[in-house]
Amino acid sequence: MESPLLFFTDAVLRAPTIGSMLMCLAAAIVGVLVFLRKQSLLGESLSHAAYPGVVIGVMVAGALGLEEHQSSMIAIFIMMGAFITALIGLWTIHWLVRKLRFRSDSALCFILSSFFGIGITLASNVQYVYSSLYRQIQSYLYGQTATMTDIHIYVYGIFSLLIVLTVVLFYKELQAMTFDRDYAKSLGIKTKPIDALLFILITLAVVIGIRSVGVVLMSAMLIAPAVAARQYTNKMFVMFFLAGLFGLISGFLGNYFSVELNNYLSLKYPTDRLVIPTGPMIVMVASVICVVSLFFAPERGLIVRLIRIGSFRYRCMCENLLKAIWRHSSKKEISFDEIEKYQSLSPIYLRFLLWRLSMSGWLEKLDANAYKLTVDGNLWAAKIVRLHRLWEVYLANYLGVGAERVHRNAEEMEHIITPELERELTLLLKDPRTDPHHQPIPPRH
Amino acid sequence: MENHDHSPALEIHQMTVNYDKTPVLWDISLEIPRGKLVGIIGPNGAGKSTFIKAVLGLVQPISGKIEFFGQPLKDVRRRVAYVPQRESVDWDFPITVRDLVLMGRYGRLGLFRWPRAADRVAADHYLETVGMSAYAHRQISQLSGGQQQRVFIARALFQEADVYLMDEPFAGIDLGTEKILMGLLRKLKNAGKTVFVVHHDLNSVEEYFDWLLMLNMRLIAAGPVAEVFNPETLHETYGKSYSLFDEALKLSQHKAKGL
Repeated sequence: MESPLLFFTDAVLRAPTIGSMLMCLAAAIVGVLVFLRKQSLLGESLSHAAYPGVVIGVMVAGALGLEEHQSSMIAIFIMMGAFITALIGLWTIHWLVRKLRFRSDSALCFILSSFFGIGITLASNVQYVYSSLYRQIQSYLYGQTATMTDIHIYVYGIFSLLIVLTVVLFYKELQAMTFDRDYAKSLGIKTKPIDALLFILITLAVVIGIRSVGVVLMSAMLIAPAVAARQYTNKMFVMFFLAGLFGLISGFLGNYFSVELNNYLSLKYPTDRLVIPTGPMIVMVASVICVVSLFFAPERGLIVRLIRIGSFRYRCMCENLLKAIWRHSSKKEISFDEIEKYQSLSPIYLRFLLWRLSMSGWLEKLDANAYKLTVDGNLWAAKIVRLHRLWEVYLANYLGVGAERVHRNAEEMEHIITPELERELTLLLKDPRTDPHHQPIPPRH
Repeated sequence: MENHDHSPALEIHQMTVNYDKTPVLWDISLEIPRGKLVGIIGPNGAGKSTFIKAVLGLVQPISGKIEFFGQPLKDVRRRVAYVPQRESVDWDFPITVRDLVLMGRYGRLGLFRWPRAADRVAADHYLETVGMSAYAHRQISQLSGGQQQRVFIARALFQEADVYLMDEPFAGIDLGTEKILMGLLRKLKNAGKTVFVVHHDLNSVEEYFDWLLMLNMRLIAAGPVAEVFNPETLHETYGKSYSLFDEALKLSQHKAKGL
């Protein structure tokens, strides 16, 4: 095992590692804005639109007689080509949407496939004409970090700095524009130049990104960190910070895992020449961070939300059961069979609920088959019935819903109404005594 | 220097607004004096929102002149505040209530400057005014419809403007909140501000406003409520007389699109 620190010092490892990290940082930062503007598909279209530029860059380099070993010169042509065709793609998307009234998703998909198609066609031409340079083109399809040099660190460093600086300087404006464009305009914010700047930055991030992770996987590096970051915060600047952090982590771990795995594989299967490429590895790490965040984030995570939904359903069930017992016999005891008659629950689950309710002190178990509400249980059940009937009165008297249709909605709201809402309802309805079905409303306790 | 002290709050000459080559507002000319509470009424699709957006420069009119206090909008932008429709934004956006209100100062702060302590205190003050202080640090997705509306109004108040343009501030809120907001708007008026409100409930027009714009693609009537709010103008605004025009318009839109 290599020390993780070695990835920042070793002459061979440091350029790909730091280069990838900077590239991921830049992509993650602009990705937050792309994600919040609900333009997630944009990254996908731009990266594919950059591909013909890559090929044209190589063709120009080939026409100028550059050889394979002059890689940094070739890289400059490639980046310029990619930047230009990506911008043309972007401009065409806008033109299609504004002038020809394309729906934006159709325009995005059209540009994605048509530009990528042009790229592929041109590439097959390059394969014959400049076959020595063809490998360069291939490496931009799925990304290649291994051939990065220290120059890449400086170039990517400057670009990333530019992107971070822009976001910091225009934070206010970007926030206002992303939230509500018209309002931002009404404040006198110059939305057009800032938009243009933002699109140039997105294009820049995509163009430097495809060197590491490739055209095909680039959009994941824009969106995955932003989606993950959104799970942990309700503040935009924290989102930038977290997304940037996730980007940096993905860039590092992608390199680390790919090197470690390759070392391991070459020891274990020396003849098979198995190679785990870095670019896809970076994307995998980012995707894992994203998926873990979607599932396990403390507030918005799916697991927590499922638990909350489950516990709410459970509470509804308990409350309904108490209510049923209360309506049947608030003071007397009631047998299990009688309870079961009016419940659609399975007997085992019903037993479990009754056991839980008696454990929590709402219900008293008199013998194996008889239950009785405790004083507290009586109060709670009465409160639920009160909320139910108050809501029915509100629906019938204030919203003009027919008395025969109020029950279903009240059946849900009785579990939801907070004490504050109850107070307001009581005040508004002047503490009524009967509901629209002429049933008494238990007094407030 | 020209004296702008007595020029009207809003003056429009022959404004026409098109969407896709078909007009949505025709040849609107009007003058609104300062210190009025102005209701804007008209049926759905009458161009009420478009009117507000055109006045604010968010939609480019194809012709016409719009002036606030005798000056073009770009010279008096800070004196004009906008309350957009509540549904026009994504309420799941990652921002707290106070930060949303702080947006009201972004225009005045200008580029490269951050809200200062004084701005934060002022934002809290306006949240207090609309009764939303308790929610200052909540995420905006946790607000109910009426609360969202109040926060939007706090943001506009925070702009400390002289003209307020509000697009359906009473949509989807309960009567209690509406009364509170109306009290705030009256206070603005009494302080000499001019407030435009796109409104739907014809029953409360006379109670709420002292000036009225009645729109249905063209200006049916504009003036003091007592003078212009009557059955004839209402019939003209909401009546069926436009159905033919509407049909022709639809045809023209289709022709323009080549359908």
